[in-house]
Amino acid sequence: MTRLLGWILRYGIAALFVVAAVFPLAWMAVAGFKAKTEVVATPFQFFPEVWRWDNYTQLLADESFLRSLGVTFAGAVLFAALSLTVNALGAYAFARLDFAFKRILWVVVITTMFIPGIAIMLTSFVVVTQLGMLDTLAVLVIPGAASGMQVFFLRQYYLGVPVALEEAAQLDGAGPWRIFTRIFVPLSKGAFVVVGATSFLAFWNAYVWPVLTITDPELFQVQQYLATFRSDRASEMGLLMAGSTLAALPVIVLFLIFQRQIIAGVRITGLK
Amino acid sequence: MAVTTLRAPARDTRSRGRPAGRGRRRETKAALIMLAPLLILLGIFVIWPLLHAVYISFYTWSFYEAPVFVGLENYLTVLTDQEFVDSVVRGLAFTAMVVPAQVAVAFLFANLVKSVSRKTAAVLKVTIYIPAVISEVIAAIVFSLIYAYRGGILNWFLGLLGREDTAWLGETSTALPAVAVPAIWIGMGVASLIMLAGLLDIPEAYYECASLDGAGPWTKMFKITLPLMKNIILFLLVTGFAASLQFLVLPLIMTQGGPVDSTTLPNLFIFRHFTNDLYIGYSIAAALLLFAVLGAVSALIFRLVRSEKAVDG
Repeated sequence: MTRLLGWILRYGIAALFVVAAVFPLAWMAVAGFKAKTEVVATPFQFFPEVWRWDNYTQLLADESFLRSLGVTFAGAVLFAALSLTVNALGAYAFARLDFAFKRILWVVVITTMFIPGIAIMLTSFVVVTQLGMLDTLAVLVIPGAASGMQVFFLRQYYLGVPVALEEAAQLDGAGPWRIFTRIFVPLSKGAFVVVGATSFLAFWNAYVWPVLTITDPELFQVQQYLATFRSDRASEMGLLMAGSTLAALPVIVLFLIFQRQIIAGVRITGLK
Repeated sequence: MAVTTLRAPARDTRSRGRPAGRGRRRETKAALIMLAPLLILLGIFVIWPLLHAVYISFYTWSFYEAPVFVGLENYLTVLTDQEFVDSVVRGLAFTAMVVPAQVAVAFLFANLVKSVSRKTAAVLKVTIYIPAVISEVIAAIVFSLIYAYRGGILNWFLGLLGREDTAWLGETSTALPAVAVPAIWIGMGVASLIMLAGLLDIPEAYYECASLDGAGPWTKMFKITLPLMKNIILFLLVTGFAASLQFLVLPLIMTQGGPVDSTTLPNLFIFRHFTNDLYIGYSIAAALLLFAVLGAVSALIFRLVRSEKAVDG
C-alpha cells in the first residue's frame, strides 16, 4: 500500500513538473488558433471554439515577419559558425601550444567571462557606432562571437584528448594546423554541437543588443519584431500568440534534435 | 562557471615532451595566428569597452561635448541616489524570490528523476530544459497574458477557488513576484540538470551501507545527500544570484518597470538611464559599481570550485 502511494506521489510530482514546464508553451501554441477575443476570455477554455488557421497563415504570408525570421536565422547560423571557429582555434592554442605570454593571455581571456553585459553595453555601442557597424548584420554577428566561456569549455575538452594521437602525427611531421584540423576537429563533434547550439540560441533570443543597434526594419530580429508587435497591436492576441509560437519553434526543434549533447553539455558546465 | 572535462575518448596525462628550438618557434607562430581572431575580437568588443567605461566613469561625458574630469563624483552621485539604492534593494528582493525557489525546484527534481524509471527520467530531463531555450521576450508575452486581469488563466483558476480577480502586473504588491515566476520558469532547467548531475555522482554504495545500518530516507537525506551536495547547492545559489540580479528583458516587456517603479530592477534602471540620459558617466558608474561586486563574487566562487576540484583530483 505505501509502495503504491509512493508511486502515485512520484509520478504525480513528475506530471506536475511536465505541466509547469510545458503548459505555458502549449497554451501559447493553441491560443494561436483562437480568434483575438478568445485568447483571454472568461470562462477559460484551453481549446478554441473553432480551430482557425488564419493567424498562422496570415503570419506566414506576412513578408516582414518572414524576413525577420530569415534574417535572424541567417545571423544565428553565421554567428554560431564564427564563434565556433574563433573560440575553437583559441582553445586549441591554449590547450596544446607553447607560446610567449601564455599565462597572462589566459588570465585575460578567463577574466572576460566575468564582465557582465550591461557594464560594457554603452561603450560597446560607442565602438560599433565609430566602426560604422550600426544597422548591419555585422553588428549582431561580430561583437559577441569571441567568448571566454566557450574558449574555456573547449580548452577543457581538448585537455582530455590523449596526447598519443598527435605524437604519432608529429613524428610524421604534421604541424599544429594539420593536427588541429585532422585530429582535433573530427574529435570535437559533441563539444561543437554544444557550443554551436548555445551560440545559435543566444543569437536567436537576443533582444537588448538588437534594439540598441538595429533600427532598419529590414534587419529587425525576430524578438524585436515580437516586442514591437506586442506594443503596436496589443489587441490582436491570437496573432501575437501564433507569432510567438513560430518564433519559439526553431529553437525548440533545435533543442530536441541535439537534446542528448545539450543536456550532457549543461551537466559539464556545472561542476561535478 | 566551473567546467569539468567532457568525456573525451580516453584520459591521458597533460604533460608531454616539448620539441625544443625550431619546434617551439614554429608553435609560437602558429599559436599567434590561431589566437589572433580571438584576441582581436575580445580586445575591440570587450576589453576596450571595459577600459573605456572605467575611464568615462570619472568624467561627465556625452555624445556631444568634450568630457570634463570629475573624479569620483559620478560614483558619489550613484551611491547617494535613492532611486538607484531602491533598485538594488528591489533586485535583492527579486533574487530572494527567484533563487531559493529555483534551487528547491532543482533539488526536488533531481531526487525525483533518481527515483523514477529510466524512460520517465529521460522524458523529464528533456522537458524541464525546454523553457531554458525560450526567449525572455516570449516568456514575458505569454506570462503577461496568463496574468491578464479579465479572462487571464490565473484569475480564472483562482476564481474557481473563490478568490477575487487581481491585476497581477498592475499592483505594486504583486508585480515583482509576478515577474519572478517566469524568471524561475526560464532558469529551473539549467539548475535542475546541474543538481541532478551532482546527485548522480554520489556513490550508490553510501546509501546501501546506510540501509544496512537501518537508516531511513530522512536520515539518508540529511546525513548523506545534503552534506555531499553542499558545494553544488552553494554553486547554484551564487550563480543564480548573479544571474537573477541581471534580469532586464522580463520587467522591460512585462511592466516597463512599473507600476510606480515596483519592478525596476537594477539593470532596467541602468538601461533606462543609458537610453534617456544625456550624460552617461552616471549610469556607467552605476553599472560598474554593481557589477564589480557581482563579477568579483562569481570569480571568487569559480576559483574556489576549481581549486577544490584540483584537490579532489
